Amino acid sequence: MSIANLLNGVAFGALLLILSSGLALIYGLRGVINFSHGALYMLGAYVAYQSVGALGFWGALVVAPLVVAVAGVALELGVFRPLEHRSHVEVGLVTFGLAMIIERVIVLIWGEDTLPVEGPGGLAGTVSVFGSGYPAYRLFIIATAAVMAVGLFVWLQRSRTGLHIRATSQDPEMAEILGVNVSRLSLLVMAVGGALAGVAGALAAPYFSVQPSMGQAILIPVLIVVVVGGVGSVGGAMTAALVLGIGQTLGNVWAPSVTVLLPYVLVIGVLLWRPTGIAGKRVV
Amino acid sequence: MNRFTRDGSSPRRVRRCIALLAVTAMATLAACGGAGGSGSGSGDEPIKIALIPPSGGVFAIYGRDTIKAWEFAADEVNAAGGVDGRKVEITAVETDGTPAATVRAARRAVTQDGARFIGGIITSPEVAALQPQLPSMNALLLNSSAVDDPLTGEQCNANAFRFVQNTRMAIGGVASSLKDLPAKKWAIMAVDYSAGRTSAKAFTKAVEASGGEVVMTQFAPQPTADFGSFITKLQGSGADGLYVHENGVDAQAFVNQGTQFNLFDSFKSIVSFKVINEPLFETFGQKVDGFNADLGYAHQLDNPENAAFVKAWKDEFGSDPYHVEADNYLTAQALFKAVEDAGSVEPKDVAATMEKLSMDSIVGPIEMRGADHQLQRSSYFAGVKFADGQLGWDDITEIPASQTTPTADPACKL
Repeated sequence: MSIANLLNGVAFGALLLILSSGLALIYGLRGVINFSHGALYMLGAYVAYQSVGALGFWGALVVAPLVVAVAGVALELGVFRPLEHRSHVEVGLVTFGLAMIIERVIVLIWGEDTLPVEGPGGLAGTVSVFGSGYPAYRLFIIATAAVMAVGLFVWLQRSRTGLHIRATSQDPEMAEILGVNVSRLSLLVMAVGGALAGVAGALAAPYFSVQPSMGQAILIPVLIVVVVGGVGSVGGAMTAALVLGIGQTLGNVWAPSVTVLLPYVLVIGVLLWRPTGIAGKRVV
Repeated sequence: MNRFTRDGSSPRRVRRCIALLAVTAMATLAACGGAGGSGSGSGDEPIKIALIPPSGGVFAIYGRDTIKAWEFAADEVNAAGGVDGRKVEITAVETDGTPAATVRAARRAVTQDGARFIGGIITSPEVAALQPQLPSMNALLLNSSAVDDPLTGEQCNANAFRFVQNTRMAIGGVASSLKDLPAKKWAIMAVDYSAGRTSAKAFTKAVEASGGEVVMTQFAPQPTADFGSFITKLQGSGADGLYVHENGVDAQAFVNQGTQFNLFDSFKSIVSFKVINEPLFETFGQKVDGFNADLGYAHQLDNPENAAFVKAWKDEFGSDPYHVEADNYLTAQALFKAVEDAGSVEPKDVAATMEKLSMDSIVGPIEMRGADHQLQRSSYFAGVKFADGQLGWDDITEIPASQTTPTADPACKL
């Protein structure tokens, strides 16, 4: 197994980590799987594409998460809050429909073609890693994911808001009785979750290209990561993201024709062994 | 008590009702005319064509351009009074590109919309699923995209005709140029479905015939978002030549990511199959400079039909046509000729004239080979060159069908 192959897995896992953290946060607080998360990621990528020309890659990396954070807030105010007393299945179905609407609107605006996004000039080409040339841009994605993971962990573990998020995820009614403003917290979590999807989309744009099926393509792996990690657990999702990313990429080296089954084998295997997922009911 | 008289109605009245219902049903069936219509097709009956392209996924862009080309051809011929006075009517039904959905859509188009001709299907698996159903639908399939050899081999069908070069023809075009390329040890990167596996096998044979060797073959599922692990294997293969067969979005992802890995710098020769076409020139830019590519069609082809087509197309759309658009326009022209020769839109009549089709076209003189329903047309091989800020074809070589496929596939039994 070469270092390049391992890094490929880590890079893909890193992208999944960023995206799934947002979904896990939203699920943990709201108790609903947001099936429009793939569409939000896609929105982030298209916003990045649109912004790169005027603002450069770094500007796009700031604008995309801001726009998708606003979309997340709109989702909270327009869908989750009005429907919070409906069944989770119903709300999930609504988000599924929303995903289709968002993706269709994106295609109507930007068209069906695959859109190229160049990464930043300073990250073009390869750098030597243990004697192997490896794309600098992929190393940047890994580094970004590591910083985000640490930042999210510290925020959830050490800050007052993080404490409130963890408490509300475990018992929303008790948290509200104890004085936590659950409504404001939900807005914040949706904004952060959306922003993480936006960051993932902006990072993916030079990595995968920007194209109409990118939201659907990433949704299933992200859902599997969240379920395997422990529904609502950010730390579990991060672990599962790396396991899946590395496993799938290395599987492509050794047995590409069966590697497509890996995510499904993983989710079945983990849930049979540990029905609450890797992290169980822990939030971080 | 007799069961017919449970509610007190007389048996005679009930029998009359049943007879009336039976007559009404038979009359309705006769009016519908059964699947795909029957009879010889009256002189003013329109030519109804159902296009079934994918609405999304890897081939969405080809689907859109397929519809564009057919509508262009239909508008052109309708403006001139139709084919023998018959109007051409196009219905486009988009699907998710899966074989099951395509077959369902085709059946619906034939039974409900009265289509007699089906086109616009992009992939070989879809065509393979539909072909056996065609006789029961009483419809003809006009294949302008799916290249897998068995479609005019062991899977051939009397109701299906292929107008695009099959894999063997296209690789034949590549094979004739292999001896001129510096690479001798080849790695193959192909899409993991029927056409990809066929082209990999054909390319391997061509390499071995030219005195080279294939040192690695790998297949990536469709779609593949991250080609990283495949690229890493290619870098470690020891090959000095690379053959790539990927489609649409996957092709673009492979080229982008290969560039990030500096993959292409490590090969003396790169041959791409179905990867590069004119609409993607701007997307690819310098990344594919120096590649060699199969070319189904080039707008520069020098014949009067092509000159007229390219001019009309450019006047309408502001750009030169590329192979998807040209192949579908060519298919439409062939259909119109066959209908005109048949004097009918009845599929069996049109099939009979289509089998003997011979005409001058935008790709030069073409002939339908009756033994396997594969159109005989040239293949092309060209270099890709980035000059003056844009990508273009360089040094286009034409390889005639007599060289790429001198005989029909013996596995085809029509």
